[in-house]
Amino acid sequence: MKRIILVLIVAILFGGLPVLCPQAFSAETIKIGLVDTYTGPPTAYTMDVLDGFKLAVDKINAAGGVLKRKIEYTTRDEKFKPDIGLAMAKELILKENVDILVGTINSGTALAVSDFVRKEKVPFFVTYSKSEKIIGEKGHRYVFNMNENTEMAGRAAAVALAKKPFIKYWICGDDYEYGHAIAEAVWKNLQRLNPKVQKIGETWWKVGEPDFTPYITQIMGAKPDFIIVATGGAGMVNFQKAAKATGLSQKIPFYQHTGNELGTLMAQGKEAPEGVYGTANYLFYFPDTPANKAFADEFMKVYKRYPKASALVGYMTAQFIAEGFKKAGKVDREALIKALEGMKLDSPLGPLAIRACDHQLELPTYFGMTKKDPKYDFLVSGDTQIIAPKDYMPTCEEIMKLRKN
Amino acid sequence: MEFIYAVIPPQILCQIFVGLSRTTILFIVASGLSLILGVLRIPNIAHGSLYMIGAFMSFTIAKAFGGGSLGFWMSLILTPMAVALLSLIIERCLFQFLYEREHLMLLLLTFASSLIFGDLVKLVWGAEYKSVPVPNLLQGFVPLFGGIPFPLYNLFLLIAGPVVAVALWLIVNKTKIGKISRAAAVDREMVGAVGINVSWVFASVFVIGCLLAGLGGALVAPTVSVTLGMDHTLIMEAFLIVIIGGLGNIWGALLGALIFGLSQSLGILIWPKFGIVFPYAAVIVVLLFRPTGLLKSTW
Repeated sequence: MKRIILVLIVAILFGGLPVLCPQAFSAETIKIGLVDTYTGPPTAYTMDVLDGFKLAVDKINAAGGVLKRKIEYTTRDEKFKPDIGLAMAKELILKENVDILVGTINSGTALAVSDFVRKEKVPFFVTYSKSEKIIGEKGHRYVFNMNENTEMAGRAAAVALAKKPFIKYWICGDDYEYGHAIAEAVWKNLQRLNPKVQKIGETWWKVGEPDFTPYITQIMGAKPDFIIVATGGAGMVNFQKAAKATGLSQKIPFYQHTGNELGTLMAQGKEAPEGVYGTANYLFYFPDTPANKAFADEFMKVYKRYPKASALVGYMTAQFIAEGFKKAGKVDREALIKALEGMKLDSPLGPLAIRACDHQLELPTYFGMTKKDPKYDFLVSGDTQIIAPKDYMPTCEEIMKLRKN
Repeated sequence: MEFIYAVIPPQILCQIFVGLSRTTILFIVASGLSLILGVLRIPNIAHGSLYMIGAFMSFTIAKAFGGGSLGFWMSLILTPMAVALLSLIIERCLFQFLYEREHLMLLLLTFASSLIFGDLVKLVWGAEYKSVPVPNLLQGFVPLFGGIPFPLYNLFLLIAGPVVAVALWLIVNKTKIGKISRAAAVDREMVGAVGINVSWVFASVFVIGCLLAGLGGALVAPTVSVTLGMDHTLIMEAFLIVIIGGLGNIWGALLGALIFGLSQSLGILIWPKFGIVFPYAAVIVVLLFRPTGLLKSTW
């Protein structure tokens, strides 16, 4: 009897696995390999990338595919580990002969894979890694960045914050590369745009810190005018909840990159603090255009949830690949790269282009402040201002200088 | 209050109390871990998973009761019970076959189960962040210590901590199962020899330990985002606390949690940029002078 129970449990435990198991490829298709983290905390973002990607691919295939070929894709779970991610990228390119690689949320993996695809001459579309090095000093012909990076986010926030009257700043965040990179990017650019600002202190906590209360009470005691909060992932929500409980959000204004984004706000429902400054690169309700509404409705219909920024990235990545091949007129990697440079496509948030010089997708940034909205049972970004790519993206000269060094 | 402020400035007093409220969660989870470690001799890495499952269940239960204040109080009662029930199933189907294995094997097995539980949670609840609202009664903050705002929920935790500690003391010292389990911790063969069903004693202890993990999860849920990965962050801290307190000693867990929580909150005040270091530095100092932990280990 005990044996049977054991067998049953094992069967139930492993029953869920086939969902993520690789599918086999058939002939005469365009093959895309996705390497990303599909287990653990990062799935809060990566599942949206994948679902957005699937939505676009299904649409493209239903319309007859690209150059009379269907698009096929397969996924690999890198488990947030660069060595595993690199091994999987190698396997996809050398064994599965994929035409294109897409991924990942882990900047370490993205850099390792990027280095490999450069030698193999396979185009690699980075979907949700935020390291500025991917397109900056480590950038090259075969890598495309489809989301914002820390430098872009920091510059956009600095552009908006420089117009505010705050002088005394406190900087705090998650003690890992992303946290430091975001904080550094905001602060460096803010100092450049408004030389009057001063930093009165810094606080760094470990990644995954569950309780921010002791950190917040200490910062409140120091009485800064404004706080730059460089958190990522679950830390976004944890900080906002603690900011509300301690009364910080009513006393001292603070900024978080993606603080006004759906991924941070939806989970908290109506309980999220109001008046938090944030930057986001996609909001499903803003700008309120038919194209944006159509995408949000379509995503909602298929997946029963609102699309986050990562969903847009996946959705646009698939479309750029498809349109790139169409423009190239053949399934050829070099021709695809040539076709994509400078290519502009309609997207839910208006026309988006891939910059020819560094292969960075030119995304607008939405700077806003959290507020309640009777239409939704969660907070949204209010007083949202659009910061255009030309106003905050590093210039081609800056990028090329980085790459030379 | 003025004379107290003369000795201890309000800012420090506030940090101490915030640190103490953090101690509550750490103590509740670590004491459960310590209990299982002391009696069953299992270094249960999956303990963190039960804490995570507790937090997720509290989300589901709170939502089932309308998501308001009632939801929170019901989840506080029902979540530990649900986790206890789940742990009973786990113990009867899996862990009861493992008690005789060597420690390395147990570490691997419990670590593997923590990974499996992590994926099961993803299958059941999905990857999105979840949040349990703070009940109306405990929302907001009160000006304490010279007007420094102190969150009401942390005040509630300050009350919950001692209540759990006293309840645990009563169970361990005043009930039959507590006495048997203390005896089993010292010599399990002897307990079996006097005609006690050791298997069920172990099951009960496992369930009580996991109930504490579930309670910890339910208590922490309103203050954080309920998310995958919250298990691994906590289990490391819980193990450190158990180690500096003395393996298997519940009061050691309390002492360890106090040291951990307070060194963190006061460290932040002293040196915010490197506040992260202080609790770990405290652990090193303790282990340098008392390698077997502060209180008597049951091992």
